[in-house]
Parts: sequence; structure tokens; C-alpha cells
Amino acid sequence: MRKVLTVVLSLLLVAFIFASYIGSQATGKKGGTLIIPTLSGPRTVNDTVSKETSSSDVIAMFMSWGGTLIERHGVDGKFYPALAEKWDGPRLTKDGGMEIIWYLRKDVKWSDGRPFTADDVVFTLNEIYTNPDIPSSFQDVIRSTNGHLPKATKINNYTVRMYYPEPFRLAFRYLGGMYIFPRHVAKKWVDEKKFAEFWTIDSINKKEIVGLGPFIPVEYVPDQYVRFVANPHYWKKDKNGVQLPYLNEVVYKIISSQDAQKLAFEKGEVDIYAPRGTEFAYFKENEKKFNITVMSYGPAYGTQFIVFNWNNKDEAKREWFRNIHFRRAVAYAMDKKKMIDTLFNGLAIEQWSPVSMASPFYNEKVVAKYPYDLNKARAELKLGGFSWDKNGRLIDSKGRPVKFTIETNAGYTIREGMGNIITAALKQLGMDITFVPGDFNTLVNRMLNVGDWDAIIIGLTGSDEPQGGRNVWALDGSLHFWNFSPDVAKWVDPKHYQVPDFEKEIDKIFRENVRILDENVVKDYWAKFQKLASEYLPLVYTVNSLRLFAWRNTIKNVQIGLFGGTTWNIDWLYKE
Amino acid sequence: MLKYIARRLVILIPELWIITVIVFTLLQLSPGDFLDQYRLDPSVSKETLKAMEREYGLDKPAVVQYFYWLGKVVRFDFGQSFYYRRPVASLIYERLLGTLVLSLYSFVLSWIIGVVLGVVSALKKYTLTDKILTVVAFSGLAVPGFFLALLLLYMAAKTGWFPIGGMYSPENTKMDVWNAFKDIFLRLQLPAFTLTFGGFAGLMRYMRGSLLDVLNEDYVEFARAKGMPERVVIYKHALRNAINPLVTMFGYSLAGLLSGAVITETIFSWPGLGRLTYQALLQKDYYVVMASTVIGTILLVLGNLVGDILLAAVDPRIRYE
Repeated sequence: MRKVLTVVLSLLLVAFIFASYIGSQATGKKGGTLIIPTLSGPRTVNDTVSKETSSSDVIAMFMSWGGTLIERHGVDGKFYPALAEKWDGPRLTKDGGMEIIWYLRKDVKWSDGRPFTADDVVFTLNEIYTNPDIPSSFQDVIRSTNGHLPKATKINNYTVRMYYPEPFRLAFRYLGGMYIFPRHVAKKWVDEKKFAEFWTIDSINKKEIVGLGPFIPVEYVPDQYVRFVANPHYWKKDKNGVQLPYLNEVVYKIISSQDAQKLAFEKGEVDIYAPRGTEFAYFKENEKKFNITVMSYGPAYGTQFIVFNWNNKDEAKREWFRNIHFRRAVAYAMDKKKMIDTLFNGLAIEQWSPVSMASPFYNEKVVAKYPYDLNKARAELKLGGFSWDKNGRLIDSKGRPVKFTIETNAGYTIREGMGNIITAALKQLGMDITFVPGDFNTLVNRMLNVGDWDAIIIGLTGSDEPQGGRNVWALDGSLHFWNFSPDVAKWVDPKHYQVPDFEKEIDKIFRENVRILDENVVKDYWAKFQKLASEYLPLVYTVNSLRLFAWRNTIKNVQIGLFGGTTWNIDWLYKE
Repeated sequence: MLKYIARRLVILIPELWIITVIVFTLLQLSPGDFLDQYRLDPSVSKETLKAMEREYGLDKPAVVQYFYWLGKVVRFDFGQSFYYRRPVASLIYERLLGTLVLSLYSFVLSWIIGVVLGVVSALKKYTLTDKILTVVAFSGLAVPGFFLALLLLYMAAKTGWFPIGGMYSPENTKMDVWNAFKDIFLRLQLPAFTLTFGGFAGLMRYMRGSLLDVLNEDYVEFARAKGMPERVVIYKHALRNAINPLVTMFGYSLAGLLSGAVITETIFSWPGLGRLTYQALLQKDYYVVMASTVIGTILLVLGNLVGDILLAAVDPRIRYE
């Protein structure tokens, strides 16, 4: 009896451990095709080559979800075991480095039926993502502070150790989320040094794609659609032991105009749609008629801001833009409420911190805010030594009228609208502003390589991990627009280049935080960063749009969260 | 005649060369390059950008890049697309069918409708029929293609008579030949209507004007005076003379067959060369732009040649030596 009890208990325990992956508690029905609209088709299905979402969305289908060591929950944002059923670390080693030991799930098979083992993981990290001959954006991301790359060693068939010679906090999330390549297919290409030509887009129709993710692409008709079928060997099972994914097929339908996407969604030709702010109210009113659900949830990660060129060739402009009171005046003059109402139909929120509000490191308490108030803006200008002449024009302490140009990329109506709102307010402060929307490529080139600009309204992509902004905030960062180091941008005159103390502190935060593995200490670092960035305003942030979702009610199990939209749990969505 | 054709074809070579030089220079002179889209991405490092620059040959001087390209083209290799990392030839080949289906269909339609209605309108000049046709023709000329396309799309969404865009439905490959054909044919109608509506109107007005001119000529009057039946007067004498300017236009418009229709293709998600070239131009994917320029130029020259030969065929007064 006791023996039976022990067996039952240990079985329960095992069941508990094994059931802790995402989707293990799901219920649903097998079958159905999910049709997702996309604006453009994939360029490649090789992750090291892919640079745009139209490709990475397709790649994720056969490499992400259950295809990575750990998987992130779209609602609670926590990491759950996936291919690794458990792990030790990240922890410091005696030699001052750090390690993570992954214990892989057994009996997992690639979509072609070959077994998945530690060899695949070791091969992917050592021979692909850390291979100097195969540059990739992932390689840039996993480089630690002093430029070290990790190394993997196989302990046994189902245990892998990953090691960095120095502590690197982000290793866990990046290495855990690493896409794993099938060694039995990819090795030949690496050995022949032709990896950039591996898995070009033709390989979909040649049925060469092998993955661990839920759906494998099997057909691509250029500019029309990509079709995926369920991976017959996907390892996840739902609550009742039914193999996931529930859906038989997923189709990415390429509909190149947003208007056509909207109509296709109304008509039921596609199941999911990302409404624009202007369409939200329309869909909300017609939820019943179209049998859909529409929802807004949490801020998006990307940021939009105005940035000034502190190394302008004009001495007067250098002085204004480096003057903290001038920048605070601009912040006070930014009518964010008006932007939200007129440009986003109310579906946006004011942004003050450089850290995304969805991030666990976001800290509202330390962030300095500048609500719209032209009188406060005037007071700041006075503090900064500015005054007004008898015509009401703003002049600096040396009597020079404040006159400069604000630019942005044309064709992006929201940025143009922001530019108009900012320009109008600054004109009320007596500044002489010219607002010029221009060609994107020209703008980028002048911003980075020429330097003949005054102020630019532009945006950057982001994530919930502030360290992702290293290239922007580090003193030698290649996107440190406002105060490029002369070593990075040749146009910056070293004689005029100065680094204020707050910039040095931010630089230090970005270099040091990744060496610390204790999340609570890291939180303090990021709190300080947010305080400094919002007080000294090298970037004056505008507003952040909300994420908008719409899906047909026939799609079940949709769970919108801060970290995931309609498809973050695509492996257990089902269709009625 | 053969000598004439040969001469024209020989001239094509320097013509092509000059045009490619001009297009390449313009591409180089326009600001920025293909890698600009990655320069503002925080996750792409300088080293990666450098490596990509080397890989694409963008670190070399423009002249070297041009001759590298030229060297390949004379061996019928159009080079690699930066964006797709695939041979340009295969990108174009994939979209050739879609482009040809759409452009040939609307080409044939607009020529038949344009010429027939033009003749009708000329013969019934100043009657109600003529006036209605004139109104239709002018609205065809006046309504912008993108607007008509959006209108049709909206109509399709409201009525459900036509699918929203695309050339194939995702089930197309699973259908038998007949149903697959029906699927594509149904999807072809709206984009083809957009292109035809814009295209036939001009032709119709040309045909009308040209036929009216000829109908006022003395020899038409003479033919009628000597008692020739009206049918013979018009179809044998007047129409053959009136068709000359349209034959020249026919040659020119052949060149447009493979250049695609960017706006219509984009709105209806049609897989055509116009979208490919347009995207390539925006992204400065040089070799795709160059390839479509070469194709466009060859077609233009050939189209003119065909036009000239046809002209000689229909008009006995024209002889090429």
C-alpha cells in the first residue's frame, strides 16, 4: 500500500512538474485554419539574415513558442519552461564568470521526426549565433558588457551548460529564448560557409523547413500568402493530453494595403486585425454585427520623441540645446493631451520615462513630469537666461533670436501632427521655428552622418528590457543622437564636445547593470536612470499609443496581456 | 524590311547602356542607401552594418558597382536582391504570371472596348449615344485609379460579390483546374476593371477624333458621291486611314505590359512587378530596379518596333528601307 502511495505521489509530482509549461492547462477543439493578415511577405526564413517583422513573424512560427528553451507568458510576463523542463542558474562561477545549466525535455522530436538533443542546442549557440562569420542581430544582443560571447558545452544528451566569462544579467532571457537550429540539416551549410544562403524563401515550397515550433511553413505564393501546417511532432499536450497545436493550419494572408485588410476583416476573410486608432470606435460599435471582439490594452513599446543636436555647427544653437532650462521649457510646451485627442483618438497615454510602462523596471515615482503649461515654460526660459525683445521674440542672453528648424520624416501622419502641435506651442513662446517633414533616408543620413540638423522628431523601437536601449544611451552608442561622441560621428568637433555629469552616470548604469544578477538591485539602477533621463531630458518624449486588437469571435482562447497580443498563445488557440 | 528591323535592334544596345548608366547614376545620387533602414535600429551594431556593407558591395565606389553589375548582366545574370537575398531573375519570374494575366486581360479589354466605342461614338456624333459615351470616357479619364480601386473594394466588401484582393485564395492549390481558374478569374475582375476603365477612355477619344477627321476628308465624300455603300466607305476606306495613330499608340502601350500598375496592385494585393519595383525603389534595392529598367527599356523599343511594322502593314504608303 505504501509503495503504491509513493508511486502515485511521485507520479503526481512528475505530472505537476511536467504540466508547468504554457498551454498545459489549455482546453479546446482540434481543427480549423487561422487566417492572419500581413502587409508584406517574408524575405527569408533564416533567422540570422532576417531583419524585418514580415520575415521574423514567419520564422517564429516554426522556431518560437515551444521551440525555445523557455517561453514567456503573454499575460503575467514570467518565463516558463519549454524545451528546458528546468534549469540551474544563472549563477556566478568561481572564475568570475557565470553559467546556466539547462535540463532538456526528453522525447522531443523535430518536425521531420528526428530526435532533439543537447547537440542541437550546442551547435546553434557555438557554431551559428557566436560564429564570427555569421553576423546576426542576435549575436549583437547576446554580447556581454566587454564584448564576450557565450559558450555552450554538452554535459550529456539532455543537459547543456552555457557559460560567460563575466556576469551578464540578460543571458537568461536571451539564451533561453534563442531559436534552435536542427543540427542534422543546418550543419552542412555552416561547414561549407554558406549559411547566409541557408533557408532562403524557396525552401518553403521545397518543404525543407524543419522546426520545433507549432507550425511549419509549407507553401509560399509571393505577395499572396504563406501557409503553415501544424507540426506533427510538436511536444506540447493540453490538459486532457491532446497534442497541440489545436489549429490544423495557419495562413498569413498578404494584403498590402491597410484599407483592404480592414475590409477583409469586416467580411470575414481574415480572423485577426490590428485596428488603427481612427477605426477603433467604428469596430467597437459594430462588434455584434461583425461578430468580433475589439479591445485596447496597455501601451506599445515604441517611443516617439523630439531630440536636439547638442553638437550643432552653430555656436548659439549648441548653447540653447545644451541648456537644461531650454529643454525643460520645450517639455512644458508639449501639449500631450492634444496629441492624444487629435492624433490618436484618445487611444494613447503620455510618456515621461525612457522605460516602457509595461516593463517591470518602470518606476513612476521617480519620473519627473512636465504637464503642459506655457507659463512654466516661460519661467524655465527665464531661468535659462532667455528673454523677450519688444516684438515678443525670444532672445538668448547674448541677444540672439532663437530660431531653428524641426524636422521629421514625411508620410508618417502622426509624427507630422506631433510636429505641428509642438511647433505651434514653441511659436507662442516666441521662438522662430520652421517645421520641415522630409524624406526618411535623407533624414537618417543627415542625422547620423552629416550632422546639419537642429531638432528632429523621430521614434525608436523598444522592449520591456531597458538595456535594449544601450545603443541610444551609452556615450559611445551609435544612436546617441543628441550628443554623439566624436569617435562615433566624424562630424562632431572634438573641441565642442562636452559630456555633462548626468550622461556619465547613465553611461555607467548601462555598463554596470548587466553585471548584476539580483533583480532588486537592477531595479534601483533603472530607477536612477529614469530619474536622470526625465530630469535632464536629452530626449523629450511625446505620447505612447495603446495596443489595439480585434479578432473574430470564432477564435477561442484569445488572452490579451501586457506582453502578448492575439497570437502569443497561437499553439492553443482554436477555431469554432 | 529585315535590314530595318536588324538596324533597330542594334541601336537597342547603346540605348540600353545609356539608360542603365542614367538610372544607376540617379539611384546613386539620391540620398541614402539600402542599409539606412537598419541604421536607426538599436539592435543592429556597427559591426553588423559594416559586414552587410561588405557583403552587398556597397563599400565599393559607385563606378565599380556599376561595372560589376554590367559584367553580370551581359551574362544574363541580373544579380542578387539585397532585400530578398535571392536572384533578381527569380523574383521577377515569380511575378511575371500575375503581371501578364492582369495587364494582358485589361490591355485586350481596353483596346477592344476603346476602339469599338470610339467608332460608334464617331459615327453617331452629337447624338445622345455619343454624349453618354463621352461622359463615360471623361469620367474614366478623370477618376483617379486609386479612388476607383478603393471604391470597388468597398463595393466588394458590402455586396460580397467579389473577394477582397489577392490573385489566389489560400485554397487555390487544393482546387481542381477548373475551380482554380474560376477563382483567379473572379479575383481578376476588379483590378482589371480599374485598369480598363482608365485605359479605354483615352483610346476611345483618340479613335473618335481620328475617325471624325478622316470622315471629313474629300475622298470619303467622293466615295459616298460615287454611290459606294456606307458600310464599305467606313470600314474599308475611313477606318483604315483613321487607325494609323492608334497603331503607333499600340506599340507604345506594349511597353507597359510588364511594368505593372503599382497602385492597383497594392490596393488589390495583386502579385505584380509594379509593387516589386516600387518597393525596391523605396528601399534602394539597386539591382531589382536596374533589372526592371532594362526590361522596361527593351519592351519599349520592341513595342515601338512592332508599332512601326504594323503601321507598314496597314498603310501601304509607309515603306522602310
